[in-house]
Amino acid sequence: MLILTRKSGEAINIGDAIKVIVIEIKGNAVKIGIEAPRTLSVYRSELYAMVQEQNREAVSPDITLAECMGYFLKREEKK
Amino acid sequence: MKIHTNRFGSIEVEEKDFIYFKRPILGFEHLTRFVLLVQKDHNPFLWLQSVDNPAVAFVVVNPRVIKDDYNPRVFENDLDFLGIKNDEDIALLSIVTIRTRPLRITANLRAPLLINAENRMASQVLLEDDDYPLQYNIMEKIAEPHGQSFMEQSTCMRLGKHLETVPQC
Repeated sequence: MLILTRKSGEAINIGDAIKVIVIEIKGNAVKIGIEAPRTLSVYRSELYAMVQEQNREAVSPDITLAECMGYFLKREEKK
Repeated sequence: MKIHTNRFGSIEVEEKDFIYFKRPILGFEHLTRFVLLVQKDHNPFLWLQSVDNPAVAFVVVNPRVIKDDYNPRVFENDLDFLGIKNDEDIALLSIVTIRTRPLRITANLRAPLLINAENRMASQVLLEDDDYPLQYNIMEKIAEPHGQSFMEQSTCMRLGKHLETVPQC
């Protein structure tokens, strides 16, 4: 991994099209500005990972909603 | 053309039925072509089946069916990216997760699928707005009757491949 030290207001260019700017440093939080082409999506890594995980959990369920409803109705009857 | 699916066997679809993910469903980056399968009875829960991987199918639902005030701030960038010019061409779908033991059914309202109903280009969109959860509980909603007329008018229906026989979601 390339590691660079930047001060507030300084920037990094990645290729021709992407610029990452350090806007503000406050305590342990850094505010970052990103200029990138619209074809690229820019997301916070933890949200990205959570959505990936959610999608993987959702794919091709082994039980259908119709089956769930059957279960649901049975449970209601028991009450 | 015929596509093979694990769940529905062989189904006949046309290229004009395809939905193309310009930006992927995260975790499924290699899959770009899907079809939205609509059942004859217009059940609001639909199957989004991959054209290229027979094993990949998602249960999806128009998020407004399960949360009628769902109105996320979608970035202009995302609309532009998909070439969406008119509001009536915006279609949103939420991916539904069904878990067993214990049974729990949730819809992902945080990262909906945004589709341009006009050119059928799509993208999974991650909302910055954390009012909408990744796991919105819809357990109680699946048993509720859903307005038929709402579904018939919905943009999602325009996008779907209507089949006589699709196993229920």
